[in-house]
Amino acid sequence: MSTRVLVITGAGGVGKTTLSAALGVTAARHGLITCVMTVDPARRLANALGLESLDNHPEPVAEQPKLSAAMLDVSASWEATVHRHAEPEVANRLLNDPFFRALADRFPAAQAYAAGEQMSEHVESHRWDLIVVDTPPAGGGLDFYTAPARMREVIGGRLLRWLTGASIPGRRALYKVTARPALRLADTVLGGPLLEEIAEFLLDLRSLHDGISRRSKAIDAHLREATSIVVTTAEPTPLREARRFFEELEGGPGRPETVVFNRQLPERWTHSRNLRSPDIGSDLRIAARENLSRWAAEVRLQHEVKQEFVARYGLHLHEIPWADHSPTSVDALAGLLEESGDLADRLLS
Amino acid sequence: MLDRKMTFVSGKGGVGKSAVTASLALQAARRGLQVLVIGMVEGIGAGLHLSTKRLTYAPHLVRPGVTALAVNRSDALDEYLRLQLHVPRAAPTKVLSRALSVLAETAPGVREIVTIGKPVYEMWQGRYDLVLVDAPPLGQLFSYLRAPSTIAELVPGGPIRAQAERMSSALADPEAVSLVLVTTPDELPVLETKDTLELLEAEPVVGLDTVVVNRVLPDLQLDEATVATLPDGPHREAATHHLAVLAQQERWLDEMPAGPRLPYLFGIHTPAEVAEQLADIWDGQE
Repeated sequence: MSTRVLVITGAGGVGKTTLSAALGVTAARHGLITCVMTVDPARRLANALGLESLDNHPEPVAEQPKLSAAMLDVSASWEATVHRHAEPEVANRLLNDPFFRALADRFPAAQAYAAGEQMSEHVESHRWDLIVVDTPPAGGGLDFYTAPARMREVIGGRLLRWLTGASIPGRRALYKVTARPALRLADTVLGGPLLEEIAEFLLDLRSLHDGISRRSKAIDAHLREATSIVVTTAEPTPLREARRFFEELEGGPGRPETVVFNRQLPERWTHSRNLRSPDIGSDLRIAARENLSRWAAEVRLQHEVKQEFVARYGLHLHEIPWADHSPTSVDALAGLLEESGDLADRLLS
Repeated sequence: MLDRKMTFVSGKGGVGKSAVTASLALQAARRGLQVLVIGMVEGIGAGLHLSTKRLTYAPHLVRPGVTALAVNRSDALDEYLRLQLHVPRAAPTKVLSRALSVLAETAPGVREIVTIGKPVYEMWQGRYDLVLVDAPPLGQLFSYLRAPSTIAELVPGGPIRAQAERMSSALADPEAVSLVLVTTPDELPVLETKDTLELLEAEPVVGLDTVVVNRVLPDLQLDEATVATLPDGPHREAATHHLAVLAQQERWLDEMPAGPRLPYLFGIHTPAEVAEQLADIWDGQE
């Protein structure tokens, strides 16, 4: 079974998770066996899918046949990665190392890399017609694409080389290196045998190199096959994040061909001027008119922003209307896409 | 918000924290204060609202009374070594800063302490009446504010640890330093803000000043029954939409402590306009 992958990217708070779920529901209703892989669903969204808790293992959505959902558990993913690629003894040492925990918890590329590993596992299981990936918000989803290469770089010894010079020493030689006067001075300033501890940690980390290098190239290959969509609103912060996909991902995988503008207002609000309503007083009429002109200004701003964006990057534009309520059922999630033109047809056919 | 030596402004990404930081800077300058705005996140941030040029590590006067700079890690590291750890110029700084770079990439807290060291250092220097910090978003805020104590746990002794302890106690002095949180009246920002308030209560690494709620819709002056009498068309649709969004906003506003409210700015184009408009609103508020 060949599996298609849709990668949903964009800044935090633009409705990425909701759109991913809506695409998942719609795909399942089109007959595709679908897995939605999410990062951190809002509570109500998990409820909409009828799910109490999610982890790395896809869980069938009771309300929607053919649809399963999984949520990225970063530390569990890293634990699996380390066990897969390192000798048991080294793996245990790494997992208990405070430096390793800091790297896995905090390095944005580490989270994005874990998401990539999970995605690849789902692709390679051949259980799915379609996988919808809701990307981690760091870097507006850009990290998801750059993480495999960055992990190769970190684990491949760039840091270790900085510390020790051109060549990477064996464990024995390491003690000689850290005993050099210059590094001894560093330890005096820093206070303690920190650098030695770090060098040892970096050596352990390096033992993951071959495995992660191979794996990350496989992730890259899956990403090249995937279709990516960028989600944004017309507000400046999400737009800036969305632009990075076109300005920083020159030519590589991940350049979206489709942009989805969420929270859009109807253009017809800019046309009407007259309000003929004999039933209400003039104060109220003025209030209604003022209100419309405020929102019409917002519509014009949205229009300008969208046109500029789509023209600059040559994209397919889809819009999702500004919903007054977040969807709280699978029907409501499916309904979301019915109002956004042929988005579902284009992506799922 | 403007009467401390230093104020951190943070919030979930996209709620307008940089715009609010810039508007507070403009407001403080209108009151005659000399303000330094520090962007702690590389590249974007409050600078966009104050200047047409990209901010640099070297401070520049961007408006009358408002100076601004952006922290970048390598300059901050260099300055941290020389000015805060007092590493003499004669020392092999290249080796040292390379070693410290490796440390900053791997050890928890080092990168953050170097970054947060800049605003704290500027406050200690006392060249400005107020240091306003466009701080990292909520998700990362604590790893920065907590960095000095993380370092103190990690490093057994020596200059870094001593410096970290000094920084910790400076940040925790509510007379000198405060935190302003910005949110919008929406589900995710409010929930994240509530989580942050709980964290702050459990671990008061910095004193909370207030929670600013941004992008609050004005009252409509029409109730649902009146709206229903409007004829079909844009007026009724816009009024219905307004009431529905307002109802959602009120639900989330109720979850936030009392504090300043800033209005939704309809159809505003440039970041500079946003900052000026919000600064005008502060005129009326205090």
